[in-house]
Amino acid sequence: MTHPLTTSEHGATTEHGASTEHRVTAEQCAAAVSTLFDGIFADLESWRDRVAQAGQPTRPTELDALVETLVIPALTLPQPTLIGAGFIAAPEFVDGHDVHFSWWLGPLESNPLLGITTVPTRLDLSARVYTDYLRDVRELEWYSIPESTHQRHVTGPYVDHLCTCDYIFTVTMPVRVTEQMIGVVGADVAVRRLETALLPLFLAADQPLALVNAVDRVVLSTEPTVQVGQLAPHDGVVVACSGVPFRVLVAPASSSRD
Amino acid sequence: MAADRRPGAREAVFAQLNDAGRAEQVAQRLTDAIILGVLGPGERLPSEPELARRFGVALITVREGLGNLRETGLVETRRGREGGSFVIAVDAPHNALLHTRLRGLTQVELSDIAVYFGVIVEGCATRAARRTSPPDAERLAGWLQKAEFAGAASARSNAGGFFLELAVLTQSARLVREQIRVQAEFGPLLFLGLGDPALRERIAAGFRAVPAALGAGDDVLARRLVGDQVQALSEWLLAAKARVERGGQLDDASVDHI
Repeated sequence: MTHPLTTSEHGATTEHGASTEHRVTAEQCAAAVSTLFDGIFADLESWRDRVAQAGQPTRPTELDALVETLVIPALTLPQPTLIGAGFIAAPEFVDGHDVHFSWWLGPLESNPLLGITTVPTRLDLSARVYTDYLRDVRELEWYSIPESTHQRHVTGPYVDHLCTCDYIFTVTMPVRVTEQMIGVVGADVAVRRLETALLPLFLAADQPLALVNAVDRVVLSTEPTVQVGQLAPHDGVVVACSGVPFRVLVAPASSSRD
Repeated sequence: MAADRRPGAREAVFAQLNDAGRAEQVAQRLTDAIILGVLGPGERLPSEPELARRFGVALITVREGLGNLRETGLVETRRGREGGSFVIAVDAPHNALLHTRLRGLTQVELSDIAVYFGVIVEGCATRAARRTSPPDAERLAGWLQKAEFAGAASARSNAGGFFLELAVLTQSARLVREQIRVQAEFGPLLFLGLGDPALRERIAAGFRAVPAALGAGDDVLARRLVGDQVQALSEWLLAAKARVERGGQLDDASVDHI
C-alpha cells in the first residue's frame, strides 16, 4: 500500500511572504484524507473477498492461517500505516467459539501489556482481562456499525487499552456471505502515523485547519489552540472528506471546553 | 537560579532506575495478585518466556521470582504437556500473607500510594470531563450498569476497569499506560477494601454518578466523585492496617475477603 503524500509540489511562500500559485486548499486536504483511507479500505476489501471465498463454516486453524497470510505483509512494511489487522468472526461463525479473533499486531515499540516485540504477534485472547470485553463484542462500535449498516466504518480516534495502548483508529468492513455477516475485517491505524502522512499538506494551506471526526473530535490541527483529542464544535466553513466520517474545519476557533 | 541549573529536574534525569531486586519485584507482583484475589485458585500463569517478555526481565529473573512463590506455597509448577505454573487452591484466604503484606508497608507508604493514585485519577476525571462526547458518556453509563459490584472479586475487577475507562476518556495514551502500570503495581492493595460490602456499595454508587458529570462537562463534580472513592479506599486500608498492627483481624468481621 502506498500513500504518496508529499508537499514538495504544493505551495511554498516567497521571500515576500506571498503564496505561490499552488496554495493548498481545505478541499485538497480533505481529499488527501479520503485517499489515505481509500488505500486502507482497498486492503480490507481484498481481505474481505478472500475470507468470504473461504466459505462457511470454517475451522479456526484454517481461518487463522488464511488471515495471517493476508495481513502480515501490511504489518511488516518499513513504515507501516497499519499497527494491527485481522478478522473478527461473528459469534456463531467459527465452530466451538463464541467469538473468534484472528488478529495480528505489528511490532510494538513498547507496550505495558505485551512488552516489546520485533515481529508481528497474534493477539492472545486467552488472557482473562479480555473475557468481559469480548462478551459484548457485538456492542462495540467497530463491530456493531458495520453489522447494522453493512458499510465500512472508521471508529475513533480512541485510546485502545486492550492491546496497542495507543491512540488509534479502527477501520472495519463487514464480510458477508449470502446476506449474512460472518464477521468484520479490520485494521488499526495509529493517529501519529496518519499525522505524519497528512501534516505537511495541512501546514501548506494558507489558513489554519483542523481535521475532526463525526463527533467533532480533533485528529490533526494546524491551529495550536485546537488540539488533538479535544472536541471542537465549529460554526464556520467545513469541508467533508468523501467516503469517511471526517471533516476539515477552516480557521477553527477554540470555542470548545478543553 | 537559572532555569537550566535547577538541580531537581536535572538530577531526576539520572536518577537510579528501579532495577534492583527485579526477581523480588516479579514475586511481589504475583504474590499481591494471588493473595488479593486477582489471580484465582487453579489459574495457570503465562509461560515463563511470556512472563519474561511481559515484565521486561530476563528469563532467569522470572524463574527466580517463581521460585520464591513456590517456597511461599502460592504456586506449583507441573511438568509435561499440560504443565506450567498454577495458583495453588487454598481453603481459607491468605490471611497470614495479607497481614504480613500490610505490616510490611508503613502508614506513610500506604498513604503515599493512595495520594499518587488519587492525583492521577482526579486528573483523569478533570480532563475526561472536558473531552467526553455524549456517546462516550452513554457508553460509560451502559458499561457501569452492567458491571457487577456485588461480590468482592467482581467489584475489584470492575473498579480497575472503571479507572481504566476513565483514563481512556482523557484521549491520552500516556495516561492509559500509566493507569495500567499503577494498577499493576498497587491495584490489588488499593482495592482490598472492596471486600467490605458496605464500602463497595458506596463506591459503586459513586462511580455510577460519574458518567452524567462527564457528559455535562462538570469537571469539578467528576473530580470530586472520583477523589472521594479513592479517599474511602485509602481510609479503609489504613484502618485495616491499624487493626492488624493491634493484633486484630484485617476486617471487622463483615468482610467477605477474597
